[in-house]
Amino acid sequence: MKQVSKYIFSLIGFVTVSLPVWAQQQRFPKPEFETGYQQPQPTVPDPRMLLMEYVDVFVLLVVLLLISWFALKKRSRSGIFWTSVFSLLYFGFYREGCICSVGSIQNVALAIFDPTYTIPLTALLFFLIPLVFALFTGRTFCAGACPLGAIQDIVILKPMELPKWLQKVLGFIPYLYLGLAVLYAATKSEFIICRYDPFVGIFRFDAEFQMFVLGGLFLLIGIFVARPYCRFFCPYGVLLGWMSKFSSKHLTITPAECIQCKLCVPSCPFGAIDEPIVEQGNRRKNVNRLITYVMLLPVWALIGGFAGSLVHVPLSKFNSNVYLAEQIIEHPELKNDPDNIDVRTFMTSGKTVDQLVEEAQQIRSQFYVGSWILGAFLGLVIGFSLIKLSTFRKRNDYVPDKVNCLSCGRCMDYCPVKKENSGFNPEVSGQNPN
Amino acid sequence: MNLQPNDKINIARKIAWLAAGFSVIICVLLIVNFIQSKSVNPIESETLKALVERLKSDPQNEALINEIRAFDLLARKAYFTSQWQLRTGGYLLLLGIIVTILSVRYVLSNKPKFGELEEIEKEPYLDSVLARKWIIYVGGSLFVLASVSGILSYNSLNAYQFSKSEVKTDEVVVETAQTSEEKIVEETTAAATQENIVPEEIMKAEPKTVAEEVKTETAAKTESSVFVASQKDLRANYPFFRGAEGNGIAWQTNVPTQWDGAAGTNILWKAKFPKRGFSSPIVWKNKVFITGADNAGREVYCYDLNSGKLLWTALADNIPGSPSKMPSVTADTGFAASTMATNGNSVFAIFATGDLLALDMDGKRLWAKNLGVPDNHYGHSSSLIIYKDKLLIQYDTNKGGKLIALSTASGAEMWTTVRKSKISWSSPVLVNTGNRMELILTTDPNVDSYDPETGKELWSVKCLMGEVGPSAAYSDGLVFAANEYATFAAIKPGSTPEIVWQTDEFLPEVASPLAVNGVVIIATSYGTVAAFDTADGTLLWEQEHSDGFYASPVYAAGNVYLIDMAGVCHIFKAGREFQLVAEPALGEKTVCAPVFADGKILIRGFDNLYCIGK
Repeated sequence: MKQVSKYIFSLIGFVTVSLPVWAQQQRFPKPEFETGYQQPQPTVPDPRMLLMEYVDVFVLLVVLLLISWFALKKRSRSGIFWTSVFSLLYFGFYREGCICSVGSIQNVALAIFDPTYTIPLTALLFFLIPLVFALFTGRTFCAGACPLGAIQDIVILKPMELPKWLQKVLGFIPYLYLGLAVLYAATKSEFIICRYDPFVGIFRFDAEFQMFVLGGLFLLIGIFVARPYCRFFCPYGVLLGWMSKFSSKHLTITPAECIQCKLCVPSCPFGAIDEPIVEQGNRRKNVNRLITYVMLLPVWALIGGFAGSLVHVPLSKFNSNVYLAEQIIEHPELKNDPDNIDVRTFMTSGKTVDQLVEEAQQIRSQFYVGSWILGAFLGLVIGFSLIKLSTFRKRNDYVPDKVNCLSCGRCMDYCPVKKENSGFNPEVSGQNPN
Repeated sequence: MNLQPNDKINIARKIAWLAAGFSVIICVLLIVNFIQSKSVNPIESETLKALVERLKSDPQNEALINEIRAFDLLARKAYFTSQWQLRTGGYLLLLGIIVTILSVRYVLSNKPKFGELEEIEKEPYLDSVLARKWIIYVGGSLFVLASVSGILSYNSLNAYQFSKSEVKTDEVVVETAQTSEEKIVEETTAAATQENIVPEEIMKAEPKTVAEEVKTETAAKTESSVFVASQKDLRANYPFFRGAEGNGIAWQTNVPTQWDGAAGTNILWKAKFPKRGFSSPIVWKNKVFITGADNAGREVYCYDLNSGKLLWTALADNIPGSPSKMPSVTADTGFAASTMATNGNSVFAIFATGDLLALDMDGKRLWAKNLGVPDNHYGHSSSLIIYKDKLLIQYDTNKGGKLIALSTASGAEMWTTVRKSKISWSSPVLVNTGNRMELILTTDPNVDSYDPETGKELWSVKCLMGEVGPSAAYSDGLVFAANEYATFAAIKPGSTPEIVWQTDEFLPEVASPLAVNGVVIIATSYGTVAAFDTADGTLLWEQEHSDGFYASPVYAAGNVYLIDMAGVCHIFKAGREFQLVAEPALGEKTVCAPVFADGKILIRGFDNLYCIGK
């Protein structure tokens, strides 16, 4: 009886709450045009109900748990693959690529530097949850929860290995992208990760031509160079890599002992398998080199910071206020140009050019500080990369490179060692390692 | 049908080729469509622009209007059809790519597995050496590139000259002019120099303390070389809207009472305005200043008082912050509804765009600034007034109210007081309450008093409502404020202000009340003129006229001048009994109050400026 009365009260409550909303909708119907005019589609997704945003967080959690289970316990590449297909459909095409963890970096950066901005809890969760998972289970987010990764993973048809030096150089780009994304978000200039997301336009079927071409190029290149955006552009991958480095339960190639059959080496399209290594070259020279690079670390930071401070002027030109102020200063005739929508909007806003220039100068000074930090950060990245390349750690087995491994699980299928046997099983692998 | 594995692979391979070909064709079509869609963007249509240009020269051409509408609809249909094609093409391309990928993956999955990756030769030690080298090259190049681009980039923000610095230059100019022409005028006791026709109450109200205070301040200003007009000079001229204090009292004595605009009787001259406006003229010595504006521009005109010759025109253009698109105003308010102000050294004009212009007496721009486009659904109409070295601006908009004091010399902000008010169209009135000067402002819902020196609110009384157009009046120690659909109240000012009496029998819509000789006069927009006893609000008399009043009554030489909207000026004695003196007609519609100069009256009609005299 209590249950029945609960349902009745719930129903009454629902009707009471929804009736005014329904009445309002009836009172203010959507305007119609008699000329056959079609309402244009908005270029950004419609606002989503808060409850549904939490559903998204829940789905993310479930997906990450599933992938972690497939990668660590079940050791199933197909399980990871089909989960990534689901993520592509759900987070990509259904959720239209928003909100995504990659873009949430900017929300977090803005929340840190702008006290007036309150970050939505769901955005914060999207930022934190994959990082927490990476800290324990490696980059399982990249393996199957990220729609950007999933769409690229599907098109890997004929991957080729890139030279190590090229991988290292290209691997520098995500750090630069991360720094710029934080700088532009912190100065309230732009969310560049979202604006230049090559795949979100594909998910939404509304890509501008240039972005469509960019997305198409990434996919085309992705046929031969596996997941180029993830490896050489994704700024969130930098953070995930840092977390994954310390992961306690990272995916392993072999469930037991490595038999050094080398079968796994060509299985990884990302070149993220570290091979056995012994120190080469003259030890004294190696140590001296390492010491030199360690001592040069602050020099790199200083050089980077100085270069960054110099480049703050061009960098700040991407801020709309700075750009507008410079346009008006350099071309005063624009103030009377009826076709320049930016200038026209500003002129009708009631602000004076003095105020605009003052704001622009403030933003530029923020860029000066930010560019210093960005340059120093990139200098440190270079310095640490050199240190890492000068460090030799003896390794006897084939193991995943925790920073760069995307936990896709391809290598697991190639490993002839199975857990049940804890040894080599040629029947299961179907291959002869020799 | 049993298919062999090889057959399946062959079929998959063929499907892959077909789907890939299909995708390529769709891709090419999409690119062509995209380029085409750029050319049929309705906003960028050259034909449409040409048609619109033609319409500007022939705005009543219905056929042309219909042609534009039809063409616009056609262009839009083409545009949206193209958009639909792009979208549908996108779906088809996606489908093609998905089928291609699935087919290729199927083919690959049936190939013997021997590694996904196409490996290359590796040598860990040498690879590390090479990687270190490239990192140094690329990292160094990046920093060099950043430094060079930073050095070569031009920071135009640093080169920007703020209007404050321009103002400083102007200040120097003003200083020089003042020194050379010795224009600093010492304050003298106003009461001692006034003509005997000045109302006794106003004479009594002249406080010695104020005169002394002004004397001291004038000396101080002399040191800092800021021009302050004397009260004597202000009253000898007609520097603001509704006179030297903005309260409708003109201090001129020799003024005509008879004229006929249509017949030209006593019309000394008549000048047609280049641009329309509803602002009143102001007068300083032999110069008459007035504004006019339309969508194309905003202008200040200076006429010779004696000949009516247009001496100069100053344009309110190229003002930083001035909107390129004119704000929306109604035809009965326009862009030039606010009356100018002058201190004899400079003239100041404000327009509905928020543009504020300061000129010297010869029309040379001293400074200009935009106060921000006022959000005003009729158009900004509050007039300017000057107190000592401060230009005072009542800036009540839909986004809130402000009282702004700018330096008359430089335009620099001296103070701004945010008002607890809604939008209004009234003007500030300077009042000497016996022991201090007060600036009285009317608005919805308050009558507010401010210290004109500091902008500090002195008192506030909540008694008005609606769209407040009438300004305040002051006499016998009482402030009078009224508005249609609200009330007509007499307020005793002070730290604890109180409403002494109020009535709602006759209420003005636009015209401000005039208080003089113990009588306060109200002129309504429906044609009734009523006089009340200032002391207790007793209705003394009322007169009905066929035409309504927008122009405020003005006192001059013992008479009240009140012009109706048809242009007939009702001149009657400023007394407790109605006594008509004359009813001369201008022969042109007007909503502007008469303006007085020695021996002359100036009236702005809808199209012409009239100078009346003998």
